[in-house]
Formats: sequence, structure tokens, C-alpha cells
Amino acid sequence: MKTLLIILMFAGILSAQTFTVEKVSGDVKYQNGSSETWSALKIGMILKDDAVISTGQNSSVLLKGNKVNFNLNESSAVSVSSIKKMNIDELLLALAMEDMMNAPKEIRKSSDNTAVYGTKEGESTLQIKTDDFGIKRLNGAVQLAENSLEESAVIAAKETYRKYPYTKNLQSYRIYFANILNDKGLYEEALDEYVDIQKLKLTDEDRTEVNVKTESIKMKLLSK
Amino acid sequence: MFANVNILSQSSFGLNGYWGLSPNFNTPLYGYESNTSNYSHVRDWGFSFIYGVEFAKSTNSNIYSISLSKTLGNHNLSARFTPGYQKEFIFNTGESIVLEDSTSQSLTASVNYKELFGLGYSYEFSEDFSVGTTFRFFTQDFFEEIVTPVFEDSLIFFVRETKSEKVKFWKGDLGINYALNENLNFVFSSINLLNFGEKADNSDFKDLEIKREVGGMIGVNYLPIDAAAINLIYETTGSYQVAFNGYAGNLGFGMTLFHDKYQDPEIAGMIPTISYKGEIFELFVSGVKYFSNRKKEFGVSEFVQNGIYNVLNNPYSFDKVLLTVSFNINTAKERTVKLIDVEIVKDIYPTFSENFIDYPFAYGTAVNLTDEYLTVKPMARIKGVNEENIQSPVLAIAPHDTARVPFYIIIPESYSSEKVELSYADFYLFTIADKPDDQFQKAVLVNSINSWDGKVSNLRYFIKKDLDFSMSHAKAVLSSNKTVLDTLPIALESFYKAKILFNEYVENLVYISDPRATGEYVQFPHQTFELKGGDCDDLSVGYSSLLESVGIQTALVDYKANGKVRHVNLLFNTKLSPNQAKVLTNNDTKYFIRESVDGKDEIWLPVEATSLTDFKTAWKLGAEKFNKEAINELGIAKGKVNIVDIY
Repeated sequence: MKTLLIILMFAGILSAQTFTVEKVSGDVKYQNGSSETWSALKIGMILKDDAVISTGQNSSVLLKGNKVNFNLNESSAVSVSSIKKMNIDELLLALAMEDMMNAPKEIRKSSDNTAVYGTKEGESTLQIKTDDFGIKRLNGAVQLAENSLEESAVIAAKETYRKYPYTKNLQSYRIYFANILNDKGLYEEALDEYVDIQKLKLTDEDRTEVNVKTESIKMKLLSK
Repeated sequence: MFANVNILSQSSFGLNGYWGLSPNFNTPLYGYESNTSNYSHVRDWGFSFIYGVEFAKSTNSNIYSISLSKTLGNHNLSARFTPGYQKEFIFNTGESIVLEDSTSQSLTASVNYKELFGLGYSYEFSEDFSVGTTFRFFTQDFFEEIVTPVFEDSLIFFVRETKSEKVKFWKGDLGINYALNENLNFVFSSINLLNFGEKADNSDFKDLEIKREVGGMIGVNYLPIDAAAINLIYETTGSYQVAFNGYAGNLGFGMTLFHDKYQDPEIAGMIPTISYKGEIFELFVSGVKYFSNRKKEFGVSEFVQNGIYNVLNNPYSFDKVLLTVSFNINTAKERTVKLIDVEIVKDIYPTFSENFIDYPFAYGTAVNLTDEYLTVKPMARIKGVNEENIQSPVLAIAPHDTARVPFYIIIPESYSSEKVELSYADFYLFTIADKPDDQFQKAVLVNSINSWDGKVSNLRYFIKKDLDFSMSHAKAVLSSNKTVLDTLPIALESFYKAKILFNEYVENLVYISDPRATGEYVQFPHQTFELKGGDCDDLSVGYSSLLESVGIQTALVDYKANGKVRHVNLLFNTKLSPNQAKVLTNNDTKYFIRESVDGKDEIWLPVEATSLTDFKTAWKLGAEKFNKEAINELGIAKGKVNIVDIY
């Protein structure tokens, strides 16, 4: 039975899932694949897993899938591909991918590269006004967690931190997702997060919570 | 006087017995009799001297031979002076004259056969195979006393006269040595293959000439263990020798039993030998003991009937004791390390030149033959690729230890063969001398410059190799768009350069699947432009090379087959930070963040180079594929998608 369950859970990630729009309230938009434009979402539409949905203030949408029903509340955004059940192993793989995506830490010794990857003066002068889409993404991730899709939620949050760097400073979200890692028993991953969170400006209450959890994890790791 | 005497020149009988191609001693190899191929272990100069005592009624001593040998690379030259290789027969002719004092005097005849000197040459093609030849010079001295009647005034006088003749000739033979393995080797030789020189003019002496019937012999040398050998040599005349040799440290023991077609009993005699090997010399004490009774005097009729066939070894030869001293005078250093085997671990792909600097293409197995630590300098050269030896890192080998020796190679920039060729690699091990201690040759496959082993990580070499062309092309394209580029914020330079270059790149290109379906073939960027197209490898390589040439970082994305067709496209670095993404797109699934070497998060864009429409479409397709297979299906974590940075 256990084996069967694991297979079913893997099947969730391997097969693309479509969702039908059951209910729309207020300003709900979607973006398909690599489209640059957002369109209004309507009841009865079918969304593939390459779509992203976004809700405005006081808006929400209910999606119905084969295995999961998902309600996205106001001021949130989520990739349809994130609405899926994952297991711990898949979560660990996804977390590991973050490092694997990075450029190599060392330039090859034998390289006879004649190319110059330099920076020019003025490169950082391009100022872009920050919007709130990153926060919408984190809100969407929170709702994934609230719909028992914690693993997907953590991955969505991590991706958001990287694509929207200002969201790394939102301590309440950071603590929320670090707690998920802690609750799932992923202590080393949780510890990395808590240590990083300690560098932020925290309320006394938040700092106390983070410190307690950090010490607790350290004790657990030492006793292993 | 004589009729049809069977006199054959020397064949395989030697004064040190038969030792085959003894791995421990060189002395027996000075004997051309059993070593017609002039095989030698001498690495530089060699010298040998044989002194012997023959036990006739009056014991006499003689210098049998003085030999010299010189090795030059794979060539060996030798010369031998053999004053003791002779046999003289004196006969009473049966006639006598009565002198004035009434005493009578018998008339005599004599025959003296001599082998005076010889020359040898051999060439070692490999440790297992060598070919050589020896030429030997003989003389035959014939002498006979006769009485000639002279008539004068009705009186008859008998005048005592002599007639004599000296006949010289050369004979030459060829030999081949082949070692099947370390324990078994073979020797094939001719007997009397080449003959040239004089023939006797006097009809009385014609029948006494050494007969030179053409034949052959085969030797088999078997070493069941390092300390013992069994050797057999068989001649087509039916004669043979069986020898047993043993080795214990510097000592050697030999016992040769020989059967002679023209002597009784079946085993005509034996040659026991003991030997000692010093640092530069070898000492042999050997004896020849015949099992039949030896007479100093015998009847002419017996000689005529049986004849002799061998100057040194015949029914009238006597037992002997011989002392042989040999010197190996090596101005060249003795071999201190041996290369047992070489394993080629990868075929040669000329375009992957950097890869061959980083990783060995072959590993040798080397043995230190000395009691000291050795510093070994390995070198290799591939025929048709390198003109000089390429040195690999030196390594130390412990005394009598075996080490794995990596061999590296450098592919010259100028190498441009478009053909796949089976070539040979020569491997050398040097210690301190200019001459290699040992060498080995092995076949190696040298692919064409367009050959590819199917590993996407190695496509980077095709990108790098053509950077000069790409830079020239890219600069020309960007110069024609200078006005646009000059008005852009510097931060967007990489993105727009990539966009302009792609749109120009696809303008005249078409996708062509690889016609060499079975072989992996990749075009250099200039070839893709010349041919106006290519497959996904060629197009990704070409575009990546253009970007790299103007300083835009790229990475190939390897979508491994997994039952489907394997695919390659690429990512490039916009150098923009994630906060600047909005300037590129409203869709945050179209870009990916990668941390740079110095810890900065930067935006990379995927591009499908086979989408030969425009940059916008190629970016869209690249993003969708990357999102689906690399990110959502965890392809990167599962190893199904691999990102290969060019630098």
C-alpha cells in the first residue's frame, strides 16, 4: 500500500495536470506559457500547467483538477504547475536544483578563454520600479501550503526569493516557509534559512522564535 | 684421390651449447651457428673471446673465436674472427719413393678447412620480432704430393712435385626471431641459403669442396618458469639439439644433447656448461664430450666412405673444454624501466585539444627494474599528428614496483585532417639518458576535426576553436547596428547584442538534420555559415560561438535522449540582476536566475537555436522547453537535463 502511494505521488509530478476554472470572483487574470500579456480568467476555462494565474484585491478563483481542488485568494499568484502534491524526496531534489542551476564556482584551469565577461561602468544604473508581483507569488505559495501542498509551496517561495530579491527581506514569509522545512524534518535546509533570516531586521518576537528554532535544530543535528 | 666426400659447413652446433634466445645471457648469441639471425641482448658494445683445449693425443690449445657486437637503436652489427674454426686432414696417398740411400718416403695429401671470419646484421622491429642475417667466409686449402716420371737418355727419373689450390667462398643465411609471449619464442633460419665465391679448378680437389646443400632449421625456446628453459633446435638434415637451461641469481647451468645424422650413437654427445654473469662480463665454462671413441688416426677408406660434414663437429673431432669470456661494454645506460603494456583509454578527437591536455589518452604499465627509486619521464607521439614527442608529467617508481603511467598528448592547432584514420602512437619511457629505456607502439583511432563523441560538454571545443571567425562576423554585424546599440542603456547591451546577432544568424540559415546518421559530426561556426544551415548541435554551437566572441557568457543545455531524440539548445547571460527583469519581460517564467562565480544572481535566457524565425520566438520556445523539462519535471536534479557552461 505504501509503495502504491509513493508511485501515485510520483505520478502526480510526472503527468501534466489540467485545471478547470470553477469559480471566479473579482479581478483574476492568467498568462499562458511564454505569453507577455495577461487575460481575464473566466469560468469553464481549462488551464494547462504552463499557465500562471494572478488575483487582484478582494478577488479569488477556484480551480478544479483531477486530484486537487485549489482556491486562490486575493492578491496572489501561482503557477498552475505548482499545484501538485510532491513528496520529501522531490522537494530535496528541487532544492538541490537551485545549486545545480548556478554557474560553475571555478573557471576551468585549462581555459584559454579569449572572451571577456567584464562589467562596464553604468551597468547598474538601469533602475526598474519594483512591483508587488513577488509578494503575490509568496501569497500564492502560502496558499499552496494551506492546501496541504507544503513541498510545492516551499519550492515556489524559494523561486520567488531569487526572481524577486526584495521578497527575501519579508521576514514573516521567510519564517513561515522555514517553519515548513523544520516541520518536515529537513533540519539542515531549515537551519540555513533561519541563519539567513537572523541577518534581517526582525521584531523581538520573531527574533526570539528564530533563535529558539535555530538552537533547537542545532541540538537535533548534534544528537544525530 | 677421394670420391664424393660429404663435407657440409657448420650448422647449429655451437661451443657453448644451445641456449635459445636466453633472456639472461648474451654469450651464446655470438655463435652464428645457432643464431643465424644475429639476435643480441647487447645494448651498446659487446665483446666475446673463446679459448679452448682439445684433448687429442697431444693436447693442444687454441683461440677459437673473437667477436664484437654493436647495437645502434634497433640495429645490431657484429663481426667474428674464428682462428680456431678449422680442421686439417693429412693423408698418406699410398705412393712412396725410394731415395738414393735406399730409404723410402711416403707421399702425402692434406685438406685444411677454415672458417676465418663472419659478419652479422639484425633489425629489431619490436621486442617480439626481429630479422637478421649472417655472412661467413671460408677457405679450403688442398695439397697433394705427386711423382712425375721424366725420360732422359733412356733413363727414367721420378721427380717429386706438389700441387695445391686455395678456394675461398662466402655463405650467407637469414633468420627470424618471433616471441609469442614472454615464455615462448621461435627461431627460423636458413642453412646455406646464399653461396658465392670460388670453386676448385683442379679436378682432383673438386669432390673435396665443402658441400653447401640448402636447408633450414627451426628453434623453439620455452621458459615454463623464469628460472628454467627448454630449448630445441631441429635441422632439415635430421640433426637436432635438445638443451635444458637453469638460472639461479647470477649463475646459469646448461646441458645440451646433440644428435648428429653423421655420427653414432643416436645422441652423439653433450655440451655441459656453467656460466656466471657479472655487472659487465659473462663467463662460460663449457665442454664437448662425445659418446663414441675418438681416434687420432684412421684409414683413408673410412674417411672417404663416411666423410665429414662439419668443421668443428665431426666423427674425428675431439673432446674439448672451452672458456668463454664476454663483456658488455655499455657506454649507453642499461635499461632501468620496462613498459609492459599500454592501454588507450580514449580515441583521438582533434578538436577536443584542451581535453587531451587535462586528461590522459593512454595509461602505460611500467616496472622499475632496479633497486633504486626511479624518476621516469613518459613521452608519446601519434603518427600523423605530432612531429615531436609530447612529454607527460614525470613520476617516481619505487624499486621493483609497477606503476600506472599516464600519457598525455597535444593536438597541434594546425591539425586539420577531415578524415578518420587508424594511426599508431609511440610511447616512450626515459630516465636520464637521451635514449628511451623502453618504448611501445599501439594503434589509435584519430578522428577528423569535425568528429564528436556525442558528449554535449565537448561541443564547447567547437565553439572555442572558431572564435576568431565568430568574433570577426559578430563585430561586423554589431557594427552595422551601432546606432541602435549606442542609444541603449549599457545594462541592456548583452541582451540586445544577443538579439541582433540571432536575428542576423537565422536570416540565411535552415535546419538540416545530420546526414551522417550513424557518426557524430559537428560543424564549426564558419562551416555552418558556408553551408547555410545545420542541425541542433551545429546551430547551437554557431550561435554560442558568436555570443562568446563578443563577451556574452553562454551555456549549452543538453536534453538527454530518454527515449526521445536528444536535443541541444542554449542559455545566455544577460548580466541583468533579477530586479531588472521587468525590462525584458512581463512573464517571470521566461527567465532563470543563475548565481555567478562572484556570487551575483544574474538573469539567463534560454534560446532555441533551431527556431530559425526570430529571436522572440526562439526565446519563447527555449523558455517553454526549459521550464517543462528542466524545472517542472526536475530534469536538472534527475540528470536528464544538463547545463554545460562553455567556460
